[in-house]
Amino acid sequence: MAGVAALSDGVARVALELPLRANLSALDNIALIPLYQRHYGISESTRQAQAILDQLGHAEIAPLRDPDMTPAQRFVAKLARALILKRPRLVIDRPGAMLYDVPYPEFIQQLAAQDAMSGIWEIFDFSWNRNLYNQALLSE
Amino acid sequence: MHFLAASIESLGAKLAGWFTIGYGTFAFLTKASLLLLDRTTWNHATFDVVIKQVYFTAVQILHVFLGYSLVIAWLIISIILSTARDFGLTAFASEMTIRVLVLELLPFLTALFIALRSGSAINTEVALMQVNNELDALAHCKVPPMQFEFLPRLVGGVISVVLLAGLAGLSALLLAYLSIYGASIAGFEPFTHTMAKIFDFRIVAGLLVKCALFGLAVTLIPLTAGLETPKKHFMVPVSVLRGMMRVFFAIVAIEVVSLALKYI
Amino acid sequence: MNKLHFKVGLFAAASLLLGALFIAYLLYARGFFENTYRLQLAASSADGVAPGVPLVFSGIEIGSVTTLGLNDYGGIVIQVELLERNAKWLKQDSTFTLDKPLVGGAKIRIDSFNPDAPALPDNSTMLLLTSDISKEIPVLVERVKAILANVEHLTRKDGEINTTLANVQTVTGRMTGEYGMLEGVLGSPEKARAVTDSLDKTRALITRLDGLALKMDGMAAKTDQWLFARNGMADLSRESLAQVKLMLDDAQSSLKKADALMANAVEISANVKEGTQDIAKLRAEIDDAVRQASALVKEINKKWPFARNPEVKLP
Repeated sequence: MAGVAALSDGVARVALELPLRANLSALDNIALIPLYQRHYGISESTRQAQAILDQLGHAEIAPLRDPDMTPAQRFVAKLARALILKRPRLVIDRPGAMLYDVPYPEFIQQLAAQDAMSGIWEIFDFSWNRNLYNQALLSE
Repeated sequence: MHFLAASIESLGAKLAGWFTIGYGTFAFLTKASLLLLDRTTWNHATFDVVIKQVYFTAVQILHVFLGYSLVIAWLIISIILSTARDFGLTAFASEMTIRVLVLELLPFLTALFIALRSGSAINTEVALMQVNNELDALAHCKVPPMQFEFLPRLVGGVISVVLLAGLAGLSALLLAYLSIYGASIAGFEPFTHTMAKIFDFRIVAGLLVKCALFGLAVTLIPLTAGLETPKKHFMVPVSVLRGMMRVFFAIVAIEVVSLALKYI
Repeated sequence: MNKLHFKVGLFAAASLLLGALFIAYLLYARGFFENTYRLQLAASSADGVAPGVPLVFSGIEIGSVTTLGLNDYGGIVIQVELLERNAKWLKQDSTFTLDKPLVGGAKIRIDSFNPDAPALPDNSTMLLLTSDISKEIPVLVERVKAILANVEHLTRKDGEINTTLANVQTVTGRMTGEYGMLEGVLGSPEKARAVTDSLDKTRALITRLDGLALKMDGMAAKTDQWLFARNGMADLSRESLAQVKLMLDDAQSSLKKADALMANAVEISANVKEGTQDIAKLRAEIDDAVRQASALVKEINKKWPFARNPEVKLP
């Protein structure tokens, strides 16, 4: 587990210890990346961020700030931020810590099942939670 | 003997601490200045944040600030004028008023005002960002916090202090004119002469530099103080306390140096 | 429309506009838009003159000294600069005086006596006079004292004025003792009344004069009253008082001189608020002089023939 934090630059992480910027809305948090990494304009960056949220099926969280979101919404925002990084690997680090109020394997699976989603999402979790994932896969 | 060694050691530790702080602050400033020169920094987004910073630092409190500076200016002008009259030195009253208010007191008070209002806010926010790992998250996303969090605050602080001190100074000048000569243009010539005598190029440039340094001090020092915060929530108040202390010393030091350069 | 952006834009635009206006005003004030007018002043000594010493016309600063140095013959040449708009006050008959007041910095005072005189051309050379007041004060006080002593001498008990006044007293005593004689001398009751009126007036004036003499700045007014008193006397009996008049004229002109000097001294000391020892001493000396003057006035008042004449009856 300790190795997750030390993963290389090629990995986009979704983790508890990588919070959103608290005084920005979810949309602005996501739009920061095209804005400052790829030097898009404000409107273009915002459009890209909104597109990601739409793809995840959670367009409604765009104007919310971190304290106003439910754990699930916060997770979606972080996931969107990780997705827009467009890195080769996407690691979800201990989702149970972030998604403590929903059955998270199903929740993640629903998100992953959206049409526009592609690539592989790696989930790092404690071994004693393995059963949860098995059930989720079985129930499908 | 042991006591002596201990006190020397604590002195050395203190000096080393101050040196580290000073070095950190200036390294931060250098980094910020270099980024300021970078063309890619100046995109729409940075401008947007700078504008927001100027709004929150200066425009939002403009009416309060101008009211407060006008009251102080009026008091000081009245005191100087009546004292000058008592001692038969009215000829020096307008020069004295301008020197005391526009060159020294108002920029100083502006800096204090911004330090108390925005400096403490910046310090707290940066300390919280540091403690909450938000800066790590930004680093993970390869979003440079300097460009979108820190630099705009520095620029906004400098712009705000310069503009606010300028506006306060101009309104004080108007008030001084009205107090000395009343609402007539009769005093225009002597007033203009006094102005010409006081405001040579050196003084104007010095005033601008001083205000800019004030603006820098009230934003740069809280920023670095916030960044130094250990990742513990209870350290946030300590960080703000230290930062504001340093801001106060820096403001006083700038004022003292400017006075020394001007009059010694 | 973004309200936040609009407010910031308004703030920035207004500030920049005001700043630009202020810079333009400063440039105007410092004469950026007009020519500089230069002047050389020749002086015997540069003592107290330094770059920055202001040029004052009617109490208003219009320029300042820029440099000073020596010319080929060892004379002092002081370069002065002023703005063209202020140069119109300089005439060819203007005088330039270096003032070194007790309080405040040195300044060069410009006096232009004739507003119609031709204007002073650019780059001309003028003479700088020196009036070092601090050096003149002791001399001034000595002169006041000398004059007062002189006046005192004139009015001493067995002095000429007293003798003459005694004479007058007898004459007028006779006149008033025989009421008809006054009328006879003057010709008509109306004239007699005019005389007594003026006598009363004179008496009142002298009483007032006595009080005024205690005040330093009352000295100027006193001169007028002296003149008035003289006229009253002259009206009364020209012949017998001609001598007195002459002497009083003498005393009066002396006092007038003292007045001028005192006024000068007062002017100097008015700006000083009990400062140094020297000033305190000066004040004491002036007070002393004033006391002498007032004692003198009192004495004259006592000896005055008509002031002590309550017997004048009006027709």
